[in-house]
Amino acid sequence: MQMTENQLVYLYCVANQEPKLTETEDLAGNLYFICHRDLYAVAGKVEESEFGKEGLKKNMADLEWVKANATLHERIIEQVMRNTCVIPFKFGTLFNTEDSLKAMLEEYGDEFKAILGRLENKEEWGVKIYCNTEKLKAGTINDNPEILKIENQISSSPPGKAFFLEKKKAELLAQSTNARINEYSQESFELLKELSFEARINKLLPREVTERADDMVLNSAFLVGKDEVGDFINMVDTLKMHHENNGFFIDCTGPWPPYNFCGLSSQKVQNA
Amino acid sequence: MHNVVTKSRDVTLLEILDRVLDKGVVISGDAVISVADVDLIYLGLKVLLSSVETMEKYRGAPITGPMQEPT
Repeated sequence: MQMTENQLVYLYCVANQEPKLTETEDLAGNLYFICHRDLYAVAGKVEESEFGKEGLKKNMADLEWVKANATLHERIIEQVMRNTCVIPFKFGTLFNTEDSLKAMLEEYGDEFKAILGRLENKEEWGVKIYCNTEKLKAGTINDNPEILKIENQISSSPPGKAFFLEKKKAELLAQSTNARINEYSQESFELLKELSFEARINKLLPREVTERADDMVLNSAFLVGKDEVGDFINMVDTLKMHHENNGFFIDCTGPWPPYNFCGLSSQKVQNA
Repeated sequence: MHNVVTKSRDVTLLEILDRVLDKGVVISGDAVISVADVDLIYLGLKVLLSSVETMEKYRGAPITGPMQEPT
């Protein structure tokens, strides 16, 4: 494909089979495949002014631009992964020339093939658990005899003593609530992990980011065999049913490109 | 019977950004212009994202239907 001097090559993903995309499925409008060592890099041409060092820095501060381009990045990889296994690249992986992209495929080719082999017939699913802490606290009070006992003592104590008992009650309640959150998120993670090939725990996102009233208590990703997806989803539903009255909510999304399960061995392995 | 249908593909921008900007293969080399400081940008973006959405909330309900001028 012809490149002009002011263009860069944007890499979306690498596949081990030639992706089949019809013209209407080419969301970028100029997608093409660079084949090297039996690997297919799905790439597009972008303008240097938009994606070059300076342009990108400027555009990353523009929320609308990021929204549009991050969504496009995701949608393109989703289209490709409908008929082939993919390694998704991070947003903004750019090459000066096709030759430099080929050189990268040459260097990492064996590793990419190994990763693709490992990902074959598997899907990434995301599970985030949120907790309505107030609801959970209310339930915890009634289930905890120690807290109930203190509550009774408070009502029959003089103000000075009641103050300290209140403090003790709040501490106990916080401890007990945290223990329940840990227990539940750990239990859910372990049960879902049993149905997966690999599992990751990612960092929790604060409320300002999630824009939800509830706190995120688990942010996890699972690599699930295509044949096991039904069992996996059934397990999510079971967990949902068991715990929704305690103030827990599970958000399950997928299938995703395997963003969480395609790390190169040379990269630092993220700790769970 | 509870309504326990698992959400699939009901995906928020947050879910996309959480992956696309944060995960995926990262290659570094001379030939590549990588998104330098992407973690920092992402952090800034998170704050930006929440402030924009808050603004949208306060902007109130969109004017549609009966409020529209007859043509």
